[in-house]
Amino acid sequence: MASQIRKIHQQLMDKEITCTQLVQDKLKALKPNTHNTVNALLDDVALELAAKVDAKIKNGDSIGLLEGIPFGIKDVYMLQGTYTTASSDLLKHYKSAYTATAIQKLLDAGAIPLVKENCDSFGHGSSSENTIFGAVKNATNPNLVGGGSSGGSAVNVALDYTVFSIGGDTGGSIRQPAGYNSVYGLKPTYGRVSRYGLMAYASSTDCVGPIAKSVEDVCIVLNAMSGKDVKDQTTYASKEILETDIATTDGIKTVGYFKNFIESEAIHPDIKSSFLAAIEKIKAKGIAVKALDFFDANTLVSTYYTLAMAETASNLSRLDGTNYGNRIEAENLKETYAVTRSKNFSEETKRRIVGGNQVLSQGFSDEIYLKGLKLRDQISENFENDFKEVDIILSPVTPNTPPKIGDSLKDPMAMYLSDAYTVGFSLGELPTLTVPQGTATGLQITAAKHNDELVLKFANFLKDTI
Amino acid sequence: MTKIMTVDVLSSIKGAQPSETVNQLFEVIKNADTSNNNAFNNNHNNGVSLDDLRDDVVIDSSATEKQIIIENFPKEKNGYLVVSKVIEE
Repeated sequence: MASQIRKIHQQLMDKEITCTQLVQDKLKALKPNTHNTVNALLDDVALELAAKVDAKIKNGDSIGLLEGIPFGIKDVYMLQGTYTTASSDLLKHYKSAYTATAIQKLLDAGAIPLVKENCDSFGHGSSSENTIFGAVKNATNPNLVGGGSSGGSAVNVALDYTVFSIGGDTGGSIRQPAGYNSVYGLKPTYGRVSRYGLMAYASSTDCVGPIAKSVEDVCIVLNAMSGKDVKDQTTYASKEILETDIATTDGIKTVGYFKNFIESEAIHPDIKSSFLAAIEKIKAKGIAVKALDFFDANTLVSTYYTLAMAETASNLSRLDGTNYGNRIEAENLKETYAVTRSKNFSEETKRRIVGGNQVLSQGFSDEIYLKGLKLRDQISENFENDFKEVDIILSPVTPNTPPKIGDSLKDPMAMYLSDAYTVGFSLGELPTLTVPQGTATGLQITAAKHNDELVLKFANFLKDTI
Repeated sequence: MTKIMTVDVLSSIKGAQPSETVNQLFEVIKNADTSNNNAFNNNHNNGVSLDDLRDDVVIDSSATEKQIIIENFPKEKNGYLVVSKVIEE
């Protein structure tokens, strides 16, 4: 699909539509909340901003590419004055005091925030069922999950309720719902986009990224959000990616894929055969393809969850009903903390906090947490070696198609294992894009660290290849 | 400190129990082979360089920000945070 952002920009400039009308139409589509994607509508602020864009156009002033473009925000980002609930009971009434850097950059570019979007509570989930706002329904088949944790964002984009949405990806939370709903979703290199104002889940892998319907739109939004930020000292300065930079396949000679992902018993036969068919089409274009060795799914998933749980146990310790959140009074302060957290956190969130405290506690940290860190180093080293031999790594997004609503909550292990193909790239801090092509749940394109440009370039190539 | 703390106390979650599913994940880590790895490399070293530290200055919050922070207090009295009862142990 061509760029929606450019199309709407042209329509606004040519006065074919007004920004107010555009925003009203999107709000009208979101209001019935057909797929449980909406935590809060931002009607007033959106319409006020739209009127300003219309006034500029009427005045004959030029507008920027993102000016007047309506977008959605996963409900874990701060936007001053709006509720930021993380889809949790604990923060049901929490109002953002400030605005996240990534969101502020979009506002500065003139984009219009429409909606705070449903997701798994604190990003804890792969199906967007772990939420107080009702399970997000898949855009194609409402009996299936929308994926997670950025489920509401992916479904809104797929249904054209938003032009693009900003998700958050810690272990696959942008890429997997993008795959489940047939849209593009990018997890940039760790540190390319500031995390300031993103509610922390696992700080060492948390990434901010766009979900959209075209490579071009992903690129436009990525450029707008990227850059060094003193408020997040893990950020780095990056160069703008130009459309001309990603138009050709220059520099892509070899593509790799992980043998064990495809030979695994857990992969659905249709996903396997369509992935291998895609590989053949790439070969036919004269690109060399190399099968690579990688860690088994159990090690990847266990390493990721061990580290993510440890980090979330620490990050969420401030949510105690005194510093933040809905307080439930008990006989003393300690009991108040314990009861508040017990009643206001979901089962999945509690499972992760408890797991995190287990691995960080004395006597366990050496054999679990520190060993997990060592495994992460080995995984990163493996990637470094792979990228000496290949330019791109191609993978399926998920081993299976989206489960039915209700199934994931019954079987947490199945849910954790469904992340087998996404978590490795998070641990490696690598740029990875889901494209809605190749298998029923799409393909992931990964490049070496800081090489987000190559990922987008290869996505453009795939558009014409498979 | 030699006192053994249970996970519900460590996590400040009343009635919390370790999960069998999560323990299975930890078993995988315990049994994994990391013998080829001698030291942490710099792969995920995201620490900021000493030359690049941000200025140590106090930035005043805007009036709106202060107002919202007060609104968010779970309990507030005369602009102060109210806690249930101080821990006396």
